[in-house]
Formats: sequence, structure tokens, C-alpha cells
Amino acid sequence: MKLAIVKHSSVRSITGACALAAVQLLRPAPALGAAASLSAGFRQVLDSVVRIDVREIAFDAGAQRFEASIGSGVVLTPDGLVLTNAHVVSPQAIEVNVTLANLERVDAKLIGWDHWTDLALLRLDMNDVKRRHLKFAHASFGDSDKLFPGETVYAVGTPYGLNRTVTRGIISNTNRYFEDDQGVNGYETGAFNTWLQTDAAINPGNSGGPLVTEDGRVVGITSRGYLGANNLGFAIPSNTAQRIVAGLERDGEITRSYIGIVPKELQDLESFYALALDTGMLIDSVDPGSPAARAGLKGGDIVLALNGRPIDGRFPEQLPPIQNAIASQQVGSALLLTVKSGPETRQVSVVTERLESSMGEEWALDRWGLTVRKISRTFARSNQLTDDTGVIVLGVQPGFPADVAGLQPGDIVTSVNRQPITSLDVIKGAHRNYSGKPAPTLLEVERDRRATFFLIKP
Amino acid sequence: MKRLILGLFLAWAALSARAGNLPALWAERVKSVVAVDYFTETEAERHLSTAYGVAIDDKGTIILPAAAVDARTSPNQLKDFHVYLPGDPAGRPCNYLGQDAVTGWHFVRTDAATASLIVPITKWAAPGGNPVPALAERVWGIGLRNKDEDFTPYFLTSQLALIQALPQQTGIAQQEVAGPGLPVFNEDGVFVGLAASSFGQTFLQLTRTDRDGTPIMLIDLEESSAFVLADEVLPNLGRVPANVFGRPLAWLGAYGLEAMDRDVANFLKLSNQSGAVISEVLEDSPAEQAGMKSHDIILALDGKTLPRFRPDGVVTDYVEREIERHRPGDVMTFTVLRGQDRIDLKARLGDEPKLAREAASKYFEHLGLTIREFVYADAIARRVKTSEGTGVVVSYVRANNPAATSGLEADDWIKEIDGTAIRSFADAAVKLAAIAADPTRTEFVLLVSRGADTTVLRVKLR
Repeated sequence: MKLAIVKHSSVRSITGACALAAVQLLRPAPALGAAASLSAGFRQVLDSVVRIDVREIAFDAGAQRFEASIGSGVVLTPDGLVLTNAHVVSPQAIEVNVTLANLERVDAKLIGWDHWTDLALLRLDMNDVKRRHLKFAHASFGDSDKLFPGETVYAVGTPYGLNRTVTRGIISNTNRYFEDDQGVNGYETGAFNTWLQTDAAINPGNSGGPLVTEDGRVVGITSRGYLGANNLGFAIPSNTAQRIVAGLERDGEITRSYIGIVPKELQDLESFYALALDTGMLIDSVDPGSPAARAGLKGGDIVLALNGRPIDGRFPEQLPPIQNAIASQQVGSALLLTVKSGPETRQVSVVTERLESSMGEEWALDRWGLTVRKISRTFARSNQLTDDTGVIVLGVQPGFPADVAGLQPGDIVTSVNRQPITSLDVIKGAHRNYSGKPAPTLLEVERDRRATFFLIKP
Repeated sequence: MKRLILGLFLAWAALSARAGNLPALWAERVKSVVAVDYFTETEAERHLSTAYGVAIDDKGTIILPAAAVDARTSPNQLKDFHVYLPGDPAGRPCNYLGQDAVTGWHFVRTDAATASLIVPITKWAAPGGNPVPALAERVWGIGLRNKDEDFTPYFLTSQLALIQALPQQTGIAQQEVAGPGLPVFNEDGVFVGLAASSFGQTFLQLTRTDRDGTPIMLIDLEESSAFVLADEVLPNLGRVPANVFGRPLAWLGAYGLEAMDRDVANFLKLSNQSGAVISEVLEDSPAEQAGMKSHDIILALDGKTLPRFRPDGVVTDYVEREIERHRPGDVMTFTVLRGQDRIDLKARLGDEPKLAREAASKYFEHLGLTIREFVYADAIARRVKTSEGTGVVVSYVRANNPAATSGLEADDWIKEIDGTAIRSFADAAVKLAAIAADPTRTEFVLLVSRGADTTVLRVKLR
């Protein structure tokens, strides 16, 4: 079974959806009894939910293409901050259009995204909002740590383009572990947070919409669900989201530290490693060339403490908080690990690096019918490449020079006219020269570790 | 006058031989061919394979085509070779002698009694040099039916359509002319070549639902229209391997030779020749010692320019065969193109490092896995220095057994057992044997490497 993101990208089924959108005007919440106040808060959150239409660039088919998709979001502040999923609005987005609860449409800009937690922060075009005197409500966060399994929650969003759909369910699990190396448009996700699991019906298009409690507090941002399963939906807990929102609003990005260890739950291995109960995290793997590898750490070592604080990684859902503790260190700072390696325990100091995705920048070389992605340091390490020279071929357009020459998706182009591709600019430059004055261009390619030359001909 | 009459008589004799004696020629030459079958034994199964062969001497030595044995199989797994004379159901035991690296042939040898029943192919060679069939010349050969038909021989014939260097001079007939590995003759009964594996032919497959058709390639395993000319066969019959591993094997250590297409060759001003790109120069290899660099392009061997081939890809086979013709210790000069420069590099060929099929291995039935010695090629495949090549490789994991249940996979590289680093194959074998023999053991822990990652696996025994 595959856990799929629930972005809706079929544009066909959305016409006529407006009829479904009964707009409830925002009223100040009167101080009434419990039931009535729940209802008021809930109405307010309904009015803060927006539909997001996105056009983004895709580079997978040998040319720049534009893809349209629909997601959901929630307005967080009176000054127009909107929170949604990173898989709804990424830096590839070129047009983001938000439909407010009152059905008015307004453009928005990406402030920043964080694929690790699958969150993206947008700002409505406030000049336009002011000029048109548009009104919208904003939601407030609840405390996701206080949720308990069985508690009633509601998901609000735009499933299959059906505006402002509310579904109801319960919290099925407050602390679900889920990690995917390519979970957000090919980017990594889930290493630093656990997820809320709910049985509220979540469908494609719900992505980025809020998961709310009966009092209308946002306790999660709906992100993904199991395809083909009955109501196994996942959401980012609000306490994680608040932290990310603050970071994105301040810096436009989330900076994390990296040392290069891949943890694994200890589950039942305590006796084998002669550990006290509830202590330690198993290192399953160490990334080649990473700070941890340079410090001599290896698979099978046990981390007992971080900067003197004991850690417990017995179960999978305990791993993301530990990973997050490492990621939260200042980049370039020294992290002191207490490591048990066989019978001996030692202190290891590891200087952290900045965490990088294995996804590099993508580009289309139109005249050649070739789309490429720069090889990142992380990609090079995990694929045991000598260094990060080169670009990966994402797609070739049939009949174009790259296709005629024989290039295939997955090839690694290491040099152009014998010049090593140390940055995307090198191949962009060669392509620019070709576009100005077409001339045979020699590409050096690695395919399955074999070196071949290809000639791009006008 | 007498001479003229004699000449006319000879011409008539030759003509009548062509016209009338083909069945007689065929009956004699069938005595040079055999079928061979053998078992491949693995941990879980015994698998029967059949191949066709040709007798090459009066000692009962038989050559089988390269494809007769899967290249990944260790000679230690090959068991119970039997040879069958055409039309005779009796299987006669024979021994496997090994594979020759230049020709690719596998050699087997029968006992003396069987040897006396077969006729070496050399008997049908022309005494004054090997004739090359002319275009459209009629050639014929022998096919063998399956085992349930006692490998009954049958007649095949066709006409020569084309001769290509692949890189061996190869005749391509209009239709199937012999079983792969069986001889081809001209109308005089002179040996003109040995049938190679057949080429794939592309067909369009149409179905009720797919009316546009799907192209599929079919390869005939029983008959072939391609044959390697006698000049490529007869001079190599003496290449009987000294041992089942075919050692010694000359070794350069230039990994992943790749051909260039015509456009690239022309661009690099190499229009009338071939070049072979070296993908990687291996650690501590003769190539590295000679100063070769990855992405050098080999242009000439011992001063001899690499000829052009059609298709271009044939050049890599050509270079590899030329290296294999040498013996370890021989010096070869390689002319390479590096950037704009042509450089001559002298390499003293080495002996090929131990191959996976030669490596020690041991099956632990109770644990459900086979371990194999870590060899040079494993270090290359895993991109590690040979000095880091401690540990053992998992060559087999039996389904539904403890090792498989733990998540262990074939090709995993075991680096630690129970938290202790594995230094050698013997070390690992002793540790696993002790674990398997200990009835009180409930589990053991492996650290294995897989790609760039490692993982800790816990194997539960009961």
C-alpha cells in the first residue's frame, strides 16, 4: 500500500463547485455556554480555510511544462499569512491563486517552504486585498500535545476541488512515525516530526487544509493518506507547524544541522547490546563522507546521549524527536555524542554541517530537448559518486538533439565540450552558446558506471 | 593431352561429389558432432542444461559455445557432464576442462572408448588453407533434435549472404544453417565455420486487442544462421584450458570499455578507426601502474590502430580479446587519447584477481544463507578500496528461513557478526558454524552493507 500525498491535480471536476460554498460571515464569538462557543469558534475556522490553485513548472519530460493543481490552506493572521503543504506550493510554483471563504480570489506569494515537515507559508497580496476591501477570517492554533486518541476532529479543505468540505473523524494516533526519502515532490520528508493520524475522510485536494478540534482550534495540517485504505489520514501536528511557521516567516527557510547518521529503533536489542532499559538509539547507517563518518561512527554503534542528555530510541516514533534535537543545533557547532561501540563507551565530538536535500536545482535546455537536475553533495554521497560534478538527465524530448544523440533519463552528464559540469551554469552556458550559434557539442556521460560520449548536433 | 584428360576427370569427379555425395559427406561429418548435458547444482536445486559440441582431437576433446554455461556459475557447481552421439540415447560420462577467455569456448573431454567413436573436425579442414565461402555459395550444416529424439542429426542448408567482423570474421547465411556450436561445410564437405549463437530477429506481435502490434525479438536456440569462419576456429583449437577456471588470465584493469558512435568519432577526428573509452581505471591494476586515467580513449594496441567495426560496439570485444590473447607478464602498448593528446602507455599485464566464481563459499542450511569470500570485484562493485574489503558477501538467502526473515538479501556484504568485525572468510565461516551448532542460540546480529548504507539485522533462530 502506498502512502500518497493528497493534492488534487485534476482540474476537470471543479466547475460548479461554487454552489457548494455557503459563505458564513464572520461574527465575534459571544461568551456563551460550551456548546455554543464551540460552534462560534468552528465557524470562524471555516471562514479561514482557503482553496489554493497552483501552476508550477515541471522539468521531467525534456522540456519545461506547466502543471495545474489544487490544494487547501488556512489563513493564520490578519496580515494574510496562509499555511499549506509544501507539496501544494513549492518553489517551482509560478502562480498561486487563493480563493477566500467569501469566494473572492487573490494572488499569493511563497514566503518559504519546508519539505521535511511538508509545510509552506504564503502571503496574500495585501495591496490587492486592501484595494478591493476583501475580508477574511484567520484561525488560531490549538495545542497538539494535548490531543488524545479518540478525540473528535474535523478536516476542512477542497477534496477533488469540492470547495469547503468538512469531514469528521477522531484522532487515531497522536504520534505516528512516517518517513519518505522522496515524499514531497521528490524531496525528503518526515525525519524530524511525527504525524497525527485521523480517520476523518481525507481525499486528494484536502492537502494543506486544517485539522481542527470542536472549538475551532487548528491542531494539524492535513498532508497525506494511504491510497486504497479506509481513512488512514496523516497531518502535521500544530506544535510542529507553529515552530516552522515562525522560522519561515523570519528567515524564509528552515536551517537544520546534519551529522549523517541514519537511526533505527532498538526494539528488543537492548539485551544484545547490554543496555539499560529505555536507553540509547541504534545507528543503522552512517552516510559516507558525512561528519559522523569522519568522526569514526559506524552502523551498529549506539548513541547513549546528546550533549550529555540521555536519549531513548527504542521505538520508531521516538526517532524523529532525537533527529530534531540534532537538527536544531547551530550549523557548524560541535555536538558531543556518547557512543557505545561494542563493549566500550566513548565521547565523540561531531561538528555539524548544514542539512541539504539530495534534490538539486532543475533546468530545461530547450534547444537540446533536455531537462536536467544538478547533482547535490547529498545525492553524490548516497550514490557513491566521486564528487558532485554533473547533472542527471530528467527527460529527453523525442526527436530533439539530445534524444537523437542517444541520451536517456538517469544518465549523468559530467562534462560538456570537455569542461567539467561543476555547476548548472556550465551546461547553461554551453546551451546558450549553442542557441546563439548551433555547433556540435560533446557531452561526456556516465550510465551505470560506464563512460560514454554523445554528440549534440544542430 | 593426358594432363587435360586428367584435369577433366578431376573436374567431373568434383562435380559429381557436389551433386551426388552430399548424403555420404553428411553421414561422415555427423561423427564429429555431439550433444552434451550437465547439471548446475545450487543450494536449493539441480538444473539440467544441454548444449551442442564439436570434437577437436582424437583424445575426445569437445568444444561447446560460450553460451553453453551461464557465466555467473562457478565451475564447482557444474556436475555430471554426459556426452551423447547423434541418434544414440546412451549418455557417456565426460569431464569439464574449463573455458578459454579468447574464444569463449568451454572444453569437455570424454573417455578413450567414446573418443574412438568420434571424428575430430580437423579431418574436414582443407589442407592448403581454409576456404572462405563466396557470396551466394551454398553451405550446409548439421542440426540435432532434442534429447527425447535421441539427438537425431538432421541436414540444414543455405547460402552465404554476408561476412562481417564481429570482431571475428562471421559468415551470415540466408537461413539457419546449423545448430549453435555445430560445424558448417561447403559443398565439397570442407569445414568452413562453426555456428555461433543465432542473432535475434524482430517480429511484430499482433493480437486481437493490439492490432498495431508490439515489436518482439525472438532468438532461435536450436539453429543459427551465423557461423564463425574456419580461420577463426582451427588456429584456436589448441587453447585447451589448463584448469577449470581457465587460468592464467591476462588482466589490464581498465573497467567498462565503451565504444563511441560515429558522430563522436568524427568529432574527435577518428573517422577511419575505432576508439574505446575507459570508464574507470581500477585500483592497483596494470592500467593504473601504466598511468591510464579514466575517460582515456584507447586508439591503438601495440601500434596497431583499432579498426572500424559495424556496429561500433564490437570494438570493446575486440580490445578485450586482444588482451586475453596475451599472458600475464606480457607488455602491451596502448595509445590513448587524453584531451587533445595522444599518449603511448606501456602496461605489463597482470593476472586477473580472483573472481567471484572462484571464491570460497559455504552454505549454512540451518541459518538459510550462503557466504562467499569477498573478492577484488566486490570491492570494485561497492566502490571501496580493496584494503577495506573485509567481511564476506551473502551469495544466497533461502526463502522463509531465519536469515531471509531478518531481511538479509543476496549480495549483502556482512561486515560484523554479533558486533565483531569479520576479518576473513574463514573467520566468518567459523563464527556462523558455531552459531548454527549451538542449540541454545536464539538469535544473532549482523551488520551488513548495502549500497552506500549499512543496516543492523537481527536473525531469530527459534
